[in-house]
Amino acid sequence: MTERAGLYVHVPFCLTRCGYCDFNTYAGLDHLAGRYVESLRAEARLTSPEWSGATFVSMFLGGGTPTTMPSKTIAGLIAHLRESFALEPTAEVTSEANPDTVDEPYLVGLLEAGVTRLSMGVQSFDPVVLDSLERIHSPQSARAAFTAARAAGPSDVNLDLIYGAHGESLDSWQRTLDEAIAMGPEHLSCYALTIEPATPLGRKVAAGLVPPPDPDLQAEMYDLTCSALGAAGYEHYEVSNWAKPGHRCVHNLGYWDGRPYLGLGAGAHSFRDARRWWNVRPPQEYLELVASGQLPTGGEEHLTDEERGLERLLLGLRTADGVPKEWLDPARADRFVADGLAVSRNGHVALTDRGMLLANELTLSL
Amino acid sequence: MDQALIRNFCIVAHIDHGKSTLADRFLELTHSVAERQMRDQYLDRMDLERERGITIKAQAVRLRYAPSPGAPDYELNLIDTPGHVDFTYEVSRSLAACEGAILLVDAAQGIEAQTLANFHLAREAGLAIIPALNKIDLPAADPDEVARELAALVGGEPADVLRVSAKSGDGVPALLDAVIDHVPAPSGDPAAPLRALVFDSTYDPYRGVIAYLRVVDGEIRGRDRILFLSNRFVSESEEVGAFAPEPEPVPSLSAGDVGYLVTGVKDVRHAKVGDTVTLARHGATSPLPGYRDPKPMVWSGLFPAEGGDYPLLRDALDKLKLSDASLVYEPESSLALGFGFRCGFLGLLHMDIVKERLEREFNLELIATAPNVEFLVRRGEETTTVHNPSEMPAPGTYDDVEEPFVIATVVTPSTYLGPVMDLCQSRRGSLQDLKYLSPERAEIHYLLPLAEIIFDFFDQLKSRTRGYASLDYEHWGYEPSDLVRVDVLLQGEPVDAFSSVVHREKSYAYGRVMTERLQKLIPRQLYEVAIQATIGSRVIARETVRAKRKDVLAKCYGGDITRKRKLLEKQKEGKKRMRRVGRVDVPQEAFIAALRVDQGAVGERK
Ligand SMILES: Nc1nc2c(ncn2[C@@H]2O[C@H](COP(=O)(O)OP(=O)(O)OP(=O)(O)O)[C@@H](O)[C@H]2O)c(=O)[nH]1
Ligand code: SF4
Ligand SMILES: [Mg+2]
Repeated sequence: MTERAGLYVHVPFCLTRCGYCDFNTYAGLDHLAGRYVESLRAEARLTSPEWSGATFVSMFLGGGTPTTMPSKTIAGLIAHLRESFALEPTAEVTSEANPDTVDEPYLVGLLEAGVTRLSMGVQSFDPVVLDSLERIHSPQSARAAFTAARAAGPSDVNLDLIYGAHGESLDSWQRTLDEAIAMGPEHLSCYALTIEPATPLGRKVAAGLVPPPDPDLQAEMYDLTCSALGAAGYEHYEVSNWAKPGHRCVHNLGYWDGRPYLGLGAGAHSFRDARRWWNVRPPQEYLELVASGQLPTGGEEHLTDEERGLERLLLGLRTADGVPKEWLDPARADRFVADGLAVSRNGHVALTDRGMLLANELTLSL
Repeated sequence: MDQALIRNFCIVAHIDHGKSTLADRFLELTHSVAERQMRDQYLDRMDLERERGITIKAQAVRLRYAPSPGAPDYELNLIDTPGHVDFTYEVSRSLAACEGAILLVDAAQGIEAQTLANFHLAREAGLAIIPALNKIDLPAADPDEVARELAALVGGEPADVLRVSAKSGDGVPALLDAVIDHVPAPSGDPAAPLRALVFDSTYDPYRGVIAYLRVVDGEIRGRDRILFLSNRFVSESEEVGAFAPEPEPVPSLSAGDVGYLVTGVKDVRHAKVGDTVTLARHGATSPLPGYRDPKPMVWSGLFPAEGGDYPLLRDALDKLKLSDASLVYEPESSLALGFGFRCGFLGLLHMDIVKERLEREFNLELIATAPNVEFLVRRGEETTTVHNPSEMPAPGTYDDVEEPFVIATVVTPSTYLGPVMDLCQSRRGSLQDLKYLSPERAEIHYLLPLAEIIFDFFDQLKSRTRGYASLDYEHWGYEPSDLVRVDVLLQGEPVDAFSSVVHREKSYAYGRVMTERLQKLIPRQLYEVAIQATIGSRVIARETVRAKRKDVLAKCYGGDITRKRKLLEKQKEGKKRMRRVGRVDVPQEAFIAALRVDQGAVGERK
């Protein structure tokens, strides 16, 4: 059987940095964009022989904000990648897109370039929450971006939402959810805000300037999300992801199912045959290495069987499909089923909505 | 050396009155330490002593000194002693190796509680006492007044009280001359069979037990067959020597000398402090008066953080015991903490130091349970000694419980008498007597339960007297008290390490403090955790740790997987180090924090 893999392309540019975000991305480096895309093409040429045996079932342009680049540039890049790698004709091609960087003509350009799925960083429809997250866009521009996406032509649209920021109440989250549901995207990612230490927000929390999110309130918001989205016909298929039937994200499922993936670009991670490696993070360093004809690898690890086992468990238990029962301590699994934290079906054990929120602890105890 | 030219003396004083600094000046005056090797409190050799700025262990050194040009060299054996109340035992052992003592008093502080205690010890030991004031360079010093107090205490004229500054060296030569004039030369019989008192010892990993000796009669050479009189253990000695101040081998030690003996003994139990060493052939038969074993004041369980370290801990205790004869220990096992030792200590400082030495010198990580005093449980004719609260029998199964009482001496400026007496009263104390050292300074004696004063009493005393009062105490006896055992339960399972025996009036406060503490320390888990404090079957306090609802990390894609796995691996490691009580995981740190000694709140709230 041929190897079915995912292709990830990292674009490390944003208009501004949001206070909570610890991704490898930079504001004010747009002048590097031209050289950066050149590097991505070069990196693709360097890596493609190694991956000639693999079929790519998905491609994901993430970041950062890929849509800070002109749609023509993106189109050129996608075309190049199609030449370098065996991308299935029907492959899912996702691009992240931020409100304020896209309008209808732009999105038409993206769809023509072969993008089949748009993932929009909406985060919230509550201005207070957007402000607290230090997002620059307004609820209106998010609505406008969504309308533009629908007008641009057929594609799956995902909305990224975040709950539990300082200043957000259960009511406000309910309103954001209601509005999102009313728009009718094919897919919703709803993330509990996580405070990363090495971010402006993380430092504010550490200094006591902003309270950390209350995990119990976040749990209630999560419960609300599960019931509201469930009622609206979305399937909860991973801790933070919901989709209309048939619209799950192929690319992200690849991570949770343990399929191989190749990451291109600064700081991008790759995984294949128990080896995980990653590119250097700073864009400058990345550009220089690739320019000198070298692979920009910054580090790697070889997973032992035990590590691999733990990863499969931790990833599998995040999904609605769960993991084969034989991977687990049967007595404990039964106990969690009895306590309503897990369900057992078709030889698989999967966490319930309630259990998913405790996936850490459950993974450790199973 | 001719005994007439030997003087054996020690310096005793209240803590911090400058004993070790005075010893520095003696070392300099006698050119015993090269100038560039000199450092402050030279004899405080242990890292712990230097960090804390206090003497923990008595140190013996040999000095050579000619009081005037052309006069013969004297051999002066000096012992610097610790001042803290926990180490009074070290002082009494040192006294047994000497004929005289310098009683040193800080001229700015005046007589303090340990000044009194040490003075009484020295006098009972029959030593010549040389009263001296120190720190006369301090602007706050009031030498005339303190000299009057001191003269009144030891008997004599204020004019006879010598005045020195150990800092500047003023008056130090005169003090050393006074030692030569007033301390009697030793008077043992050099021709009699060897009798030497082991007044201290240490353990060297290569050489085994090194005993500190005071030779009373006879002579011991470097290589001799020696006999320990108490257990008739015979060994081949390897070396004798003196601390000058570094260990220096000498051909022999004879009557009147103080020095060390490399015993050739590897098993620590065979060479006990307080024993008498003699020669295997033509040895003495009657031992010297030894020491009464010191009485442990507080008990605590020491458990290795890594269960597998239990044998290491046992070895470490055996070795530490050699340089710290006052340490006692017995194996103990706890459901919550595994195998460890219930140890008896002379006080909280001693406990703290032993724990720190075990951790540092033997590379162990330890959990100590909250210290407690010992109890006597009486049932008819039968008396059981309980060192561990969890072994305290259930209420109603015994006639009564007795707890140790002490006679506490508090020295305080008279203006603070009121607050001091209030404090003692609130700790179930009864006033014994009140004396004035001078119109401004009072000496009060209270009979108090030991349990009331070992924890936070001293801090309270200091804060109520702006730091001016000082405290000393000695064991008095046992008295029945209304004591109850408070247990702490997690999900209905008692955690033995948290049990405590407290006075009934304070039991609710204890229960409340412990449950509240644990409520904060126990991380939320999958299931709710009920924390209860009980007396027998009665619940006196209760807290709950709510079940955790969310711990999953929201995102997990490509590069995050490694990070998340590592995080989980770390948590897994952390879980391994958790102690399981029934269904509840309690992190090691929670035990350590919950058992921390600062139980101030318990004593204060009512
Ligand atoms: N001004 C002044 N300070 C002194 C004098 N003698 C000692 N000190 C200071 O008093 C403090 C305590 O001195 P130590 O020599 O350690 O006292 P100690 O009696 O050996 O203390 P313990 O062994 O812990 O009982 C140190 O800070 C010394 O520098 C003195 O004559 N004058
Ligand atoms: S736009 Fe997205 S990637 Fe860029 S800084 Fe904000 S959250 Fe991070
Ligand atoms: Mg000292």
